[in-house]
Amino acid sequence: MDTQRPKGLAGLIENGALLTGFAIFAIFLLAPAFYVFKGSFENLSVSLVSSDGGWTLSNYVNIFSSGYYVYVINSLIVCITATFLACTISLFAAYGLSRFRFRGRGLVFGSIMGGQFFPWIILVNPIFILFARGGMINSQIGLILCYTAFITPFTIYLLVGYLTTIPKSLDEAAIVDGASRLTVVTKIILPIMWPGMVAAATFGFLQSWSEYLLALALITDDSMKTIPLGLYQYFGDVNVDWGAVMAGSVVATVPTLLLFLPLQKKLVSGLTSGATK
Amino acid sequence: MKLSPLARERFTIFMMLFPTFLILVGFYLYPTLYNLELSFTDITLLKLRQGGDPVGLANYTEFLTSSSFFDIAINTVFWLTAISVVCRIILGLGFALLLNSNFLKRMHMTTLARLILLVPWATPPVVAVIAWRWLFDPTHGPINSWLLATGLISDPVAFTANLTTVWPSIVTIIVWNTTPLIGVSLLAALQTVPSDLLEASEIDGANRWQSFRFITLPYLMPTISVLTLMSVIWTFNNFVYVWLTTGAGPGTYTNVLATEVYLKAFVDLRLGYSAAIGVTMAIVMAAFGALYFRFFGLSDMQDKVG
Repeated sequence: MDTQRPKGLAGLIENGALLTGFAIFAIFLLAPAFYVFKGSFENLSVSLVSSDGGWTLSNYVNIFSSGYYVYVINSLIVCITATFLACTISLFAAYGLSRFRFRGRGLVFGSIMGGQFFPWIILVNPIFILFARGGMINSQIGLILCYTAFITPFTIYLLVGYLTTIPKSLDEAAIVDGASRLTVVTKIILPIMWPGMVAAATFGFLQSWSEYLLALALITDDSMKTIPLGLYQYFGDVNVDWGAVMAGSVVATVPTLLLFLPLQKKLVSGLTSGATK
Repeated sequence: MKLSPLARERFTIFMMLFPTFLILVGFYLYPTLYNLELSFTDITLLKLRQGGDPVGLANYTEFLTSSSFFDIAINTVFWLTAISVVCRIILGLGFALLLNSNFLKRMHMTTLARLILLVPWATPPVVAVIAWRWLFDPTHGPINSWLLATGLISDPVAFTANLTTVWPSIVTIIVWNTTPLIGVSLLAALQTVPSDLLEASEIDGANRWQSFRFITLPYLMPTISVLTLMSVIWTFNNFVYVWLTTGAGPGTYTNVLATEVYLKAFVDLRLGYSAAIGVTMAIVMAAFGALYFRFFGLSDMQDKVG
């Protein structure tokens, strides 16, 4: 398309317009995060109308001394356990789905595709009732099971995509040598598809880390709350403790930013594969 | 007893897929059917243990004929879904085209742009809402300070409480949080447009708009269709943006189907009635799902299964 490059004044104007457009986009995309980051280091008490200009760590000190670390620990426990469970389950399911032909395979795969788009808002009522009857409200195990179920369809989908790129001859050779299927999966397949597992785990962790609805319905005990619920503790009926909210938001977002960076490309190809092929 | 190789392989398949089967049945199929059953009862949070009595279609007729139904439907379909999906596709396409321009490519902006897109994309929705509530805040918020300082307004605007600004505000939050996925996907799709076709069209005298309309856009259409349908399904059912921005308010002004399900179940404690709303949503979404598969057949799935 280089031949279309306009020359002279028109070109200058066009390049200026392109840069301006880029700058507007950049400001729109970055400003909210920038203001939260900035605000988290400012002294914004509830009564104060404007900040005093200096920067301070007091918001962070305040939230962690008032128990924010409990939410962080709860989130870590729930999300890491659910991610581990989902990835283990998905590894075997993806292997089974990609290596064997059996009756009902299409149905299982179709359900997994559908599960990715399943509206959890309509599962909240039945799961709440079942959990309430089973004494699973305010239970981390209950939340872990829900999150495992919530992320499994996409992790299976990602891993099936990954497994189809690994030649079947590899595991068949091992089977001929007398290895069991379990050995094949853990000793041969897992080391090869480690990048795929990392992508699936990152995705699962991110999904559960920002989940709000199920946590809202299933957790009422403050000592059990996860970060998304904990953040909204600072929104009072009249006043908002903005300093605390913003420091808490930064703490909630830093891990997702760090995890997202290497995942970005994989997610795009995973989500829209088939369309872009 | 020694199993035959075939039986052993069957057993292996069964064991490998059994946990997934349990999840699909226990957390998807059974709750969905149970929700359907609940929707025909008058179960409330207060008589959770003894269960509700069957009421037939009463929950459905009450919901579909209620005075708030029309408002909720318009809010969900028009504001929450249609407007926000159209805005994010257009903005995402705009940004992708901008980044794909020769000038910005020569300035090596793509890497920078990917980093910029990462920020809203990686921000959890709960935090995205907080960030914008802070920007929109009438007493401390940067937007109001800026508008007041430039003299564009003389009094602070409570963006998320004012009836004329509340929906655009919610849509802004959703668009901010979801546009990066669209932008990055379309930027990837733009790389598949063959440059020799674009050059040939230029030699043949096509102007830029014609090149875009008749060459670039057709190459992008499959991606745009997938992204649109995914976004529609995902946004239509979304609870957090509306709930955390306005709590369905002011009053019930921004109430959508998802928040209505939550309000009826956990504020009014009417679980059966709320279940009926959920079933209604599922039916509407099933129609969208059918649309998805009609557009793309099962080719994508078959590609994956191999």
